[in-house]
Amino acid sequence: MQRQLELELIRKCKSGQSRFYEPLVRAYEPAGLRLALAMMGNADDARDALQMAFIKTYDALPRFDLRRSFGPWFFQILRNQCRDMLRSRKAKFNVEALDERFEQHAVESERDPERTRQRNAAKELLWRGLERIGTEHREILVLKELEGFRYAEIAQILEIPEGTVASRLYHARNALREALVQMNAEYP
Amino acid sequence: MRSIRRLMNTRDPRDPITSDDLMRYLDGELPPEESSRVEAALAASTELQRELAMFRALKVDIQDLSFHPATYRVSVWDKVHKHVSRPVGWVLLIAGFVGWMLYGAYLFATSAVSPWEKLGSGAVAIGILLLLASVIWEQYRGWVVDPYKDVQR
Repeated sequence: MQRQLELELIRKCKSGQSRFYEPLVRAYEPAGLRLALAMMGNADDARDALQMAFIKTYDALPRFDLRRSFGPWFFQILRNQCRDMLRSRKAKFNVEALDERFEQHAVESERDPERTRQRNAAKELLWRGLERIGTEHREILVLKELEGFRYAEIAQILEIPEGTVASRLYHARNALREALVQMNAEYP
Repeated sequence: MRSIRRLMNTRDPRDPITSDDLMRYLDGELPPEESSRVEAALAASTELQRELAMFRALKVDIQDLSFHPATYRVSVWDKVHKHVSRPVGWVLLIAGFVGWMLYGAYLFATSAVSPWEKLGSGAVAIGILLLLASVIWEQYRGWVVDPYKDVQR
């Protein structure tokens, strides 16, 4: 979404016109759901977290500084929401309903079912690896690799100094590698 | 010389490559001169090359993870909208209710009805309001301790 358009929508929302919040929700929903899914591990908890994050974001909009970017601010709220839910209630990251989460490559499977099977098995293994590492490791990997945020944005979302992002990523990647090795996955 | 470089925020080409350098290089976060330094170190060390290859493979594999399109089909907007638009409705409802109540009380108090009737009717009205307030208060207290209050299904 264009920055100017985004700012205009936020201004309208700040003035109490909640219908202008819809384009913002629609624009950030797919990326937000990916982050929530990767943090929570299942679609129901991810939707609950996402829904609450959007509500909290709307409630906090009057205090939003228009000089900031909306995206990292929203993801910061979403990340905190996921962490709160993981901490405070039954929600626990678990690799359930894998079929629901994995994209099936229909065309590919028609051509080469064996390759598709291997590919899905590798993905499942990777998810299992992500399940084994801690939330702190998982969230930074998701922000970097699935959402493609720059280090400065990750630092803002995670509320850490920018200089810490590289070292956190190193530890997260190493933790994932070790988890995969423990599951007998081979990495170069 | 090294301290001057540090002040200028540049690194000596002979400095060893740290894990942070490697991550920044992998993620395209290094400035060109720093990238050249890492590339020179990579050319001289197969161990470093192997480490980078491993991290790169991991990066590509994570980026390849995707979700089933059905996951995105149901939007949370409807539920979010219900919540964000509700306060306006409640404010209007409560303001209207209070306004009508005050106006009704004013008309009743200034009417020609006898003081005893006014007193009796007033007591009934206040009693009903107190009972209503106590029910609302009990509901509110139950809601505060409900661990699932934030979840709308």
